Amino acid sequence: MPEPRLDPLLELAGVTSGYGQIQVLWGMDLAVHSGEVVALVGSNGAGKSTLLRTISGQLAPREGTIRFDGRAIGGAKPDAVLTAGIAHVPEGRRLFRGLTVRDNLLLGAYLRTDKDDIARDLAWVFELFPILAERQRQDATTLSGGEQQMCAVGRGIMSRPKLLMIDELSLGLSPRMVEHLGEALIQLNKAGQTILLVEQDVMTAFELSHRAYIMENGRVTRAGASTELMADPTVSEAYLSI
Amino acid sequence: MAIYSQILANGLMLGALYACLAVGFSLVWGVLNVINMLHGSFIILGGYLTWFAWHGWGIHPIVMLPVVGALLFALGFALQKLVINRVVSAPVLTTLTLTFGLDMILYNVMTYWFTATPRRVQLDLGAVSLGPVTLPVDRLVGTALALVLTLALYAVMRGSNIGRAIVAVRMDRSAAELMGIRTERIYAITFGIGALMAGVAGVVFASVFPITTNVTGTYLGKAFVVCVVGGLGSVPGALVGGLVLGLVESLAGHWFGPQQAITAGFVLMLAILLTRPTGLVGVRGYE
Repeated sequence: MPEPRLDPLLELAGVTSGYGQIQVLWGMDLAVHSGEVVALVGSNGAGKSTLLRTISGQLAPREGTIRFDGRAIGGAKPDAVLTAGIAHVPEGRRLFRGLTVRDNLLLGAYLRTDKDDIARDLAWVFELFPILAERQRQDATTLSGGEQQMCAVGRGIMSRPKLLMIDELSLGLSPRMVEHLGEALIQLNKAGQTILLVEQDVMTAFELSHRAYIMENGRVTRAGASTELMADPTVSEAYLSI
Repeated sequence: MAIYSQILANGLMLGALYACLAVGFSLVWGVLNVINMLHGSFIILGGYLTWFAWHGWGIHPIVMLPVVGALLFALGFALQKLVINRVVSAPVLTTLTLTFGLDMILYNVMTYWFTATPRRVQLDLGAVSLGPVTLPVDRLVGTALALVLTLALYAVMRGSNIGRAIVAVRMDRSAAELMGIRTERIYAITFGIGALMAGVAGVVFASVFPITTNVTGTYLGKAFVVCVVGGLGSVPGALVGGLVLGLVESLAGHWFGPQQAITAGFVLMLAILLTRPTGLVGVRGYE
């Protein structure tokens, strides 16, 4: 595990958020340091996706602060957050129908103008997921679920983010495919990529991450090193029993 | 047999013009889910600008093509940005009513300023004969231009960053936001492109047919039929829809008399709606 820097790359303090009358987040505190893989786990409806949407600017926080790379980004629009260096791979992949795998990946680099570097990053995505290179001319939504997830993660990388946020990496995928994607994430992290991973599959999340937060009803209830949380009987009883 | 090669040629030439006329309307409808009632008036505005430039200053229509394109893009962009974006997420009837109202203003201002006199840029280019088929050169050039412009839009949609972003916004607005795409800006650009395509179609039309504000509704109707026949929101859809409509009108004109050509077009639209509501090359599951 890399030695964390003193200042976190991403830091949330007392963030509340929600939709209309419905409040989902009730004072979230969270930090991600450069070089880390941090997992955010919790049951359905705990507010994990809402948290990511609040960070990426699709929702504005009602209270609290979000700091990224030394700047306050709470309430900034999605394009500003992406420019600051946060990519958000949404739940359900959400690839664009009617566009090829290659075009979907290039959309990840929509805000960038450095053509040569974009080509280099595309080659890197193809190296990470060789199947995408084979299928690059194909409509992205004709890929299998796992391949679509690779394309979605690849599209996230194409913005060359400082922080990659992935919502539900394993959802609906076979264990073998999850393992394959997990290996790719580890490879990415070794290349220096900081990752915030949201997962319902607690076991996968703990295995892939250095640290983890457990969320319930819009708040963090437990936090710590993933190995410690995994070994904690109260945690395993609540989340790993079945 | 000879008469049918002539009818086929006429139908294809007309069809290319229809494709160019409709492709901007189709794009706006498909991407913004806005039925742009201004489209017919945009075409006539482009045509009038061409005619006045020709008669006032002797400027050739081919020179006016980029000028009209730029002016109409600016007009469309501004209208979307300042007016239509305020209600763009409202139900389709709201945006339809809004563009209908805007069209009333544009239509009447144009009729007031330019009068409804039919005007045409007479280029007197003569005609060429290919075996039994005779083709007026101005129409032939117009057809070629219409095809080039339509295919140029296709190239932009397929190969450029903006084209990809437009498709992305059409398919999934929320995911497009996560790519850093500012959706309201893409809406304005898309509406601008729709107006641009209408304007350049007007330049071509004014050089081939007499135009007047009285035919804005007819052109809008054509755009509508082309979209339904070919399929919404794609350049290939407009191209197929335009060519099929041109051929059907041309054939129907021969069989049942020219006065029935328009009827045949709408009958075709009804038949397609009943049998293939997504259009001949439309994507299933989108509107």
